Amino acid sequence: MTAFAELSVTSNFSFLRGGSHPEELVRQAAELGLSGIAITDRNTLAGVVRGHVMAREIGFAYAIGCRLVFRDGTPDILAWPRDRASYGRLCRLLTLGNRRAEKGQCHLDLGDLLDWGAGMMLAIVPGIGLDECLNNTIARLKDMFADNLRLTIARPYGARDHRRMAQLARTAGHFGVPLLATNDVLYHAPERRPLQDVLTCIREKKILVSAGHLLQANAERHLKNPADIARLFRDFPEAIVESRALLERLTFSLDEIRYQYPNEPTGDAASPQEALEKFTEAGAAERYPDGVPAKVRKSLRHELKLIGECAYAPYFLTVHDIIRFARSKEILCQGRGSAANSAVCFCLGITEVDPELSDLLFERFVSLERNEPPDIDVDFEHERREEVMQYIYEKYGRHRTGLAATVITYRSRSALREVGKVFGLSEDTLGALSGTVWGWSSGKVPDHEISRIGLDPSEATIRQVLDLSAEIAGFPRHLSQHVGGFVVTHDRLDEIVPVANAAMEDRTIVEWDKDDLNALRILKVDVLALGMLSCIRRAFAFMEAHYDHRPTIAKICSKEDHAVYAMLQRADSLGTFQVESRAQMSMLPRLKPKKFYDLVIEVAIVRPGPIQGGMVHPYLRRRQGLEDVVYPSPSPLHGHPDELRDVLGKTLGVPLFQEQAMRIAIVAAGFTPGEADQLRRAMATFRRVGTIGTFRAKMIDGMAARGYQGDFAERCFSQIEGFGDYGFPESHAASFAILVYVSAWLKCHYPDVFCAALLNAQPMGFYAPAQIVRDTRDHGVVVRPVDINASNWDCTLEEDGDDNAARLHPRHATMKDDIRSNHAVRLGLRQIKGFSERDAETLVDIRGKGYDSVRDLWLRSSLSRAVIERLADADAFRSIGLDRRDALWAVRGLGGDKTRLPLFDVAALADIRREPDFELPPMPIGEHVVNDYRYLSLSLKAHPVSFLRQRLAARGIVPNETLDGTSSGRRVLVAGLVLVRQRPGTASGVVFMTIEDETGIANAVVWPKVFERFRPVILGARLVAITGRLQSESGVIHVIANRLEDLTPMLVSLCEESGDLEALAHADEVRRPLVDMREKIGPASRLVRLAREEPGIIKDLVEIATKAGKVMPKGRNFH
Amino acid sequence: MIPTLATSEEDSAADRILLEKLADWSERYTPLVTLDPANGLILDITGATHLFGGEEALLVDLGARLDDQGFLPRAAIADTPGAACAAARFGAASVVPVGGSARMLEPLPLAALRLDQETVSALDRVGLKRIGQIVGAPRAPLAARFGSTLIRRLDQALGQEEEAITPRRPAPPLIAERRFAEPIVREEDIAATLTSLAATLGSSLEARGLGARALELALFRVDGFVARTTVGTSRPIRAAGLILDLFREKFAGLGESFDAGFGFDTIRLAVHATAPSDAAQIDLTGEAVAEADLDQLVDRIGARIGVNRIGRIVRRASHIPERAETFVAPDDEGLVKKNGALPSTDPSEAIDRPLRLLARPEPVEAIAEVPDGPPVHFRWRRALYRIVRAEGPERIASEWWRDDELSRDYFRVEDASGHRFWLFREGLYERETATPRWYLHGVFA
Repeated sequence: MTAFAELSVTSNFSFLRGGSHPEELVRQAAELGLSGIAITDRNTLAGVVRGHVMAREIGFAYAIGCRLVFRDGTPDILAWPRDRASYGRLCRLLTLGNRRAEKGQCHLDLGDLLDWGAGMMLAIVPGIGLDECLNNTIARLKDMFADNLRLTIARPYGARDHRRMAQLARTAGHFGVPLLATNDVLYHAPERRPLQDVLTCIREKKILVSAGHLLQANAERHLKNPADIARLFRDFPEAIVESRALLERLTFSLDEIRYQYPNEPTGDAASPQEALEKFTEAGAAERYPDGVPAKVRKSLRHELKLIGECAYAPYFLTVHDIIRFARSKEILCQGRGSAANSAVCFCLGITEVDPELSDLLFERFVSLERNEPPDIDVDFEHERREEVMQYIYEKYGRHRTGLAATVITYRSRSALREVGKVFGLSEDTLGALSGTVWGWSSGKVPDHEISRIGLDPSEATIRQVLDLSAEIAGFPRHLSQHVGGFVVTHDRLDEIVPVANAAMEDRTIVEWDKDDLNALRILKVDVLALGMLSCIRRAFAFMEAHYDHRPTIAKICSKEDHAVYAMLQRADSLGTFQVESRAQMSMLPRLKPKKFYDLVIEVAIVRPGPIQGGMVHPYLRRRQGLEDVVYPSPSPLHGHPDELRDVLGKTLGVPLFQEQAMRIAIVAAGFTPGEADQLRRAMATFRRVGTIGTFRAKMIDGMAARGYQGDFAERCFSQIEGFGDYGFPESHAASFAILVYVSAWLKCHYPDVFCAALLNAQPMGFYAPAQIVRDTRDHGVVVRPVDINASNWDCTLEEDGDDNAARLHPRHATMKDDIRSNHAVRLGLRQIKGFSERDAETLVDIRGKGYDSVRDLWLRSSLSRAVIERLADADAFRSIGLDRRDALWAVRGLGGDKTRLPLFDVAALADIRREPDFELPPMPIGEHVVNDYRYLSLSLKAHPVSFLRQRLAARGIVPNETLDGTSSGRRVLVAGLVLVRQRPGTASGVVFMTIEDETGIANAVVWPKVFERFRPVILGARLVAITGRLQSESGVIHVIANRLEDLTPMLVSLCEESGDLEALAHADEVRRPLVDMREKIGPASRLVRLAREEPGIIKDLVEIATKAGKVMPKGRNFH
Repeated sequence: MIPTLATSEEDSAADRILLEKLADWSERYTPLVTLDPANGLILDITGATHLFGGEEALLVDLGARLDDQGFLPRAAIADTPGAACAAARFGAASVVPVGGSARMLEPLPLAALRLDQETVSALDRVGLKRIGQIVGAPRAPLAARFGSTLIRRLDQALGQEEEAITPRRPAPPLIAERRFAEPIVREEDIAATLTSLAATLGSSLEARGLGARALELALFRVDGFVARTTVGTSRPIRAAGLILDLFREKFAGLGESFDAGFGFDTIRLAVHATAPSDAAQIDLTGEAVAEADLDQLVDRIGARIGVNRIGRIVRRASHIPERAETFVAPDDEGLVKKNGALPSTDPSEAIDRPLRLLARPEPVEAIAEVPDGPPVHFRWRRALYRIVRAEGPERIASEWWRDDELSRDYFRVEDASGHRFWLFREGLYERETATPRWYLHGVFA
């Protein structure tokens, strides 16, 4: 059989052109029996590493290259580097093209190739016209590249294939350039044609029916086996032979990239290793003033030896240097992830997890066997990370520094949207369709969801849209910058990988993402941003300013504070790091954390890994003493019965952390550490191509063979699968637990400081400012409104004579002696929606002794009338005796023209005085509250639901706070504003809702069946009534919903004078979503009859409902 | 939210057309009609109500007729356009008694004053929600804060400020009219009148260097019915004969439905659109005339059978040969683009396609090499052809999103006597079907 290598392959990293993943292409090529393959994407090397990794895995001949596409009319040219040097030049060439173009574009001219092409093999891909331009290109290149130049011929099954090939053969003969046979591949198999057509339409912004000749006429651009190729090119056998011959000359492999970490001068130390040892020693002495414990000393010795062997010292020094810089600028930072397994990192101040107190697994971080670089992730305050990034650019220079890329891929929702658009579906249908997908899930949309939105799932177009969007999910869409992964190199970065412009000015990204970099062992430092660190830094500043107290993270963590744990045990964790989510809150009272390690478990347990592995309940039962702690053991023939005790001892025999699952694979299933690691990576990166099955069998069979129960083995594997998405090692949990503890400590002892810091660090976390403020007030802190004479941009602390503790809400009564705060929180101007920081600064700067009227503010500041009106909307003029309406009236009377001369001002003033009095109706308190929500997204005056209490009571609805005293199993009826709707992917369709009334929060669980029945209510209501059964377990109270009702129309009444409410009584008949009534009204609708009788109602309802409904929080949706 | 709720997308252009049609229709009540977008009409019925038996009766008549047409009308009569709009959109009263506007307006929301959303919400925010709240209030502070429009709208609604409505049909630029003491019935008389009216208009047009692009003939029947006939022309005309011809075609097209009843007492010919037209100069080759002839032909055929039935065939972007052409209006370039048609032809492609494409591919029996070789023999309409030359295959796969047909392998073949055919094999051997079938789809010259 003829040997053939396909050397012209467009993968889906030629965005919206290629119809297959590089991995698929490589695998298919191997299966078809080709001699080899080269991935050649359009002006990019973004996909080559993935193909490389796959080829390495299956042992297949693989070359890399690039299809150069020019802007000067030159036909496309395939370029394959033959050696490291020409590879470097190819990177330089692409970088040049990238950098001179906008993000995502690459501008190249033939001249550039002549400049940089030395050493490459080239092949010209003739365009449609075989004209002078082609001849000229051949002539120019032939001159320089001599026998390194080829001309490709292809058989696309067009009308003129044979004539074309004959003509090309003549041309090739004329210039003495060999022909190269290729199929100019766009996808690995013919079944991908529809998908490739859809991609073309997305790219060209066309719909299928009118895309016409933009689409390929047939499905022939797939990988073909050597026999087919031999038949197609039977008149040109030499062109087939050439493919093989060419491949043999392409000896360059990506593994040759000898990556060198920057070797910065290391002071007086002889080598980086020596410098690292010195820094570590000094750091250890600081960490352990009473002498370094033996255990730590041993770890340090072991780690330093390994680091030396792998020559990673410069990398540690770089991170150390960055940390030192941050510390010198008082930027809070902390390492996370597997680096927290390292005693060296602890001593260098990179991480905070004390190796003395925990068992660290350094091999998880650095190992000889794994052959993969360590990955140090450091979190910085999110507001000051930029300073750190600029420092790195400055220190190492832009030619050596770049950000890792993130491959943005299609998710279910975006895929549905774009594919639907290509099929010409209407905006409404698209919206409805993509609405069936929750969050970022990548699962398929079930048929019943489709019928639910009024579409027929079996209808051909809908079917095609669904199938194709499922297929397209996971396809790369474009490259974006990684949140903070810096690649720093010793030599030029752009000779290792092409560099491109990022969306942000002055940022450059490399074309590879973190998996690619890992696969080639290129080191990167993750400079990440963490909102909680900003919050903590702000809190520390408040502590210093108002309490003359200078805490640090280390100082707070140095001793275990019972009060903090007591608070957490009551699930009083709103605002704290990580453990504030609904799921965490329901876990806290069950887990009852008593010591730091419990927090580590708390952070790790509510994760897909343990949940999918079914490990959560066994662990809780054992912790609560309901179940004996036993360790699964092998049959006595195969090993020591306690072989897992070492692995699972700390977690009561239940595996919770990623490390433990890996250790089980090794200890119980007989994996080598290398295999275990392959398994882990297979989960994370190879899901695309599905090599998981073999590992699964190996693990389950391995454990079964050694006498473990099948069920336990299954669960361990499911857990590893769960970790695939969000690997959560113990060290990472430990780093996070530190921040959990610090934030909880602040909340416990200084709720005023915590609240102000948290509000100033928004947006972050799970809850909106309204809930943070409410919770703070429950903890006895006075919160004062935004005011022109008192507020700064940020929230501030003000003296408050009274003792905070005295005002504690009864439910927090136990904290009476723990609360040390005595200040009030003044809300900042940042709380006003649409108010800019610049305007706030102006307002504060010239405030002086205060403003005494709206006019005074207007005259003295240069703020526009619209800005002042916004202040009035926010009710910020109370300190001068004006409520919202009076202030608005005054603002609108200012006159619009901003050109003011003192003289005219006086005249205008006199004019105003002469203005007749105008009696404005007082604003009802309910309307004030609604307006507070509208402009501040919270209200200090009252809770909106409090105005409805009487009407709610008439329906038998009880306040949320009464649930505490209700016995489990009772039927209850509660109502409140919807704060959070959450449908975790791990909870099989269960929806969690959190609602809030004036007395507190209630949590509801909605089972799928109920969800289906009340879907519109659950998704649409701002105010909802829930009927259900109360379930109370270890102090965790849930309402298991069986009926939901949308009460949003009730909110309408808040902003109308009470007399008008009755006019809306008819709304009850209509009951459902007011907003939808703006749609055309079908003739059969009951609404029409209603409208016939009471015509004003439609307009009224729509307008008022949008008005009141809109300002109330929609509730946050979490996945 | 509600899966069973039938929804359709808003088509504001269509809504607008509907409203225009309604306005046309409502000219039966008064010629003074204006649109109140997006869904209202304002009729000035001053002095017209007696024809319908008074205001109440007019309203009932109008309501009933609109109801019959499937609308849900909301109508009101009041002293001023402003008050009538407010009553119709926000109130309940159908006929506001003379002088009763103020009372009717007071409880209505301020939006009833036809104010923009921004003003309404600004008023709302200071607590001013009902018209009653501002009726007696001092004007200056209101005007200073919310603009003079507010005051003007209020005054207009209350009748304190005159508001004239602008009729939607602007007076035609040119009009010629003849009234008859004795109604005329015979077609010849109408034609004669038309000719003389056209001649009158023609000389006015010539004097201005204009030609008519749209003409309307209105025949007012003694019983009140108005027969309106409009013709458009593809180029400006002004010759009385041409104008008469166009209307003749139109009437011929209408056939029997043309009903003179008791006769017409007024005939009005109006020019609605004009375009510059210089005195015609025919060049020596006579080409201008030929072109003009074609246009006139299109106009005449169009006037009789409807312009939308005349079209021409253009190429369309599709790989499927029978879908590669489409039918468009003679002069509609926009439509050409919308249908995905290609304005011009790439000449090099012409050789790939036969001169004549059969309306429907005809099955043939053929012998060919597998999997995708050209046919050696084929039999079409009982005659056997031996192929001596072939080129192909050109593979054209089905438009998968539309149907699930098989791929086709097209061959251009030449038989021993030099005839050329376009054949295709339907279905890829083994990949799509075990037994591909053959068709003849076209013949080359």
